[in-house]
Amino acid sequence: MRKVLVLGASGNIAPYVTPDLEKDYDLYLSDIVPHPDGKPVINVDITSYPDVLEVCRGMDAIMNFAVLRDDPVVSFEVSTKGAYHVMKAAAELGIKKVVHTGPQLVRNAYDHEFGISDPPLAPGVGYYGITKYLSMEICEIFSRTYDIQTVCFLFNGLGAKPTEVVTKGDFPPFTVVWEDLQHACRLALEIESVPGNFQSFNLLSYFAQGKYEVEKAKQMLGFTPMGGLEDYFRRVTD
Amino acid sequence: MNILITGASSQLAQAIASELTEDHSVRLMDSVPVDIAEGCDFIQGDILDPDDSWKAVRGIDVLIHTGEPPTNLPSDELTREQTLLDLATRGTHVLFSAAVGAGIKKFICASTLSIFNAYPDDVYITELWKPLPSPEIVEMTKYLGELTAREFARDHLVTVTGLRLGELVLEETVQGEAPNLAWLDIRDAAGAFRCVLNRDNSNRAEWTQRWAVYHICADIPNPKFLIDQARGIGYQPAHNFQNLFLKTTG
Repeated sequence: MRKVLVLGASGNIAPYVTPDLEKDYDLYLSDIVPHPDGKPVINVDITSYPDVLEVCRGMDAIMNFAVLRDDPVVSFEVSTKGAYHVMKAAAELGIKKVVHTGPQLVRNAYDHEFGISDPPLAPGVGYYGITKYLSMEICEIFSRTYDIQTVCFLFNGLGAKPTEVVTKGDFPPFTVVWEDLQHACRLALEIESVPGNFQSFNLLSYFAQGKYEVEKAKQMLGFTPMGGLEDYFRRVTD
Repeated sequence: MNILITGASSQLAQAIASELTEDHSVRLMDSVPVDIAEGCDFIQGDILDPDDSWKAVRGIDVLIHTGEPPTNLPSDELTREQTLLDLATRGTHVLFSAAVGAGIKKFICASTLSIFNAYPDDVYITELWKPLPSPEIVEMTKYLGELTAREFARDHLVTVTGLRLGELVLEETVQGEAPNLAWLDIRDAAGAFRCVLNRDNSNRAEWTQRWAVYHICADIPNPKFLIDQARGIGYQPAHNFQNLFLKTTG
């Protein structure tokens, strides 16, 4: 069974992804805070390279979900320098697969457009956007040089799929439901290689607005979102 | 104009100061003490410190961010790498944020042509080519600093000009060496900063007009790096290593 390190395992993303992966991967959860479901967590501060290097030893893949959004110092420490530590450790230890995430760096510039599939990223200077954007550049640089296959997922929201009809409401843009993110992460762990060793992919689960698309993830990764979620938002007609 | 130049302890910053002091009021900044030329102002401060950055940018019209690190970098390799990463990313962000807050409209940042080293020497590289920086820490962090600076042009009504500099040398000190396609005499580098001092697209609606990047190196007979864009803004290098390149091509 492949050993997969999960950084930021107690955060806003990983706890919704790892339960689905546990049966097929030997997961090593790490964070600096306790896991919300009480699972054992290896205490790893991503801002410490010795910590990161040590916990990466023996791993086949790394999933980096660590992020700090809007702090003038810690955002850079966690999101940018943390990514540097992860990629440096992967290079040093010969780890060939990294899964990275970022906020979608698309809405800033394209939110008034439609059919948005794979535009250049436009982070701006907000701490969340710029620090994650720089982290992606670092991932790409290391991936290109050390033949590390890195898959990066971009999404703006993450949540449960709806379970009952929503009235007088629209679905959230650029939002992926847990099941689709789990599916995408599994594909990322399994894919042998991606063009240029680094690729980022839009992820979302609601498509009827015609605004954001996931064609690249479909074509390159084989991503097949569950679909049909828009049906919960149907207006009742006579 | 009132001009702030960061990285005062570096040869580059001092060359730029020498180039501009006669016509402009120059303030230099670094986190270490620096002996500066007569006629310049100096402020000791760390660009990572918002208060220091704020003090440095007050009253300034043009910010020249050399991206050159201080002379007291840690000797431990990992700490040095982390410091360079911090200075290039957060440092640039802190400094530019302070400058935007202070009303500065013109920003010039130095980057490097080494981000194109991955390309073979039998191609012509212009500003249209995708940079392929390596993880080598100086090269990578120069590029990350450039990207950070560029985003300020996207989000604010300011002009940001990136100068990707070749390998900085003095022409007279490399005589006898094998020619390097990226060589740039440090005095010509300083001249390039003068060329873009007056570039002002701050009120242009499209951010792509507010940002520009130029490749700066010597004008050699069979160049890898084309400098036509820079010529368009008046860049005319005076030190072109003619003896060395003529020997090679002859």
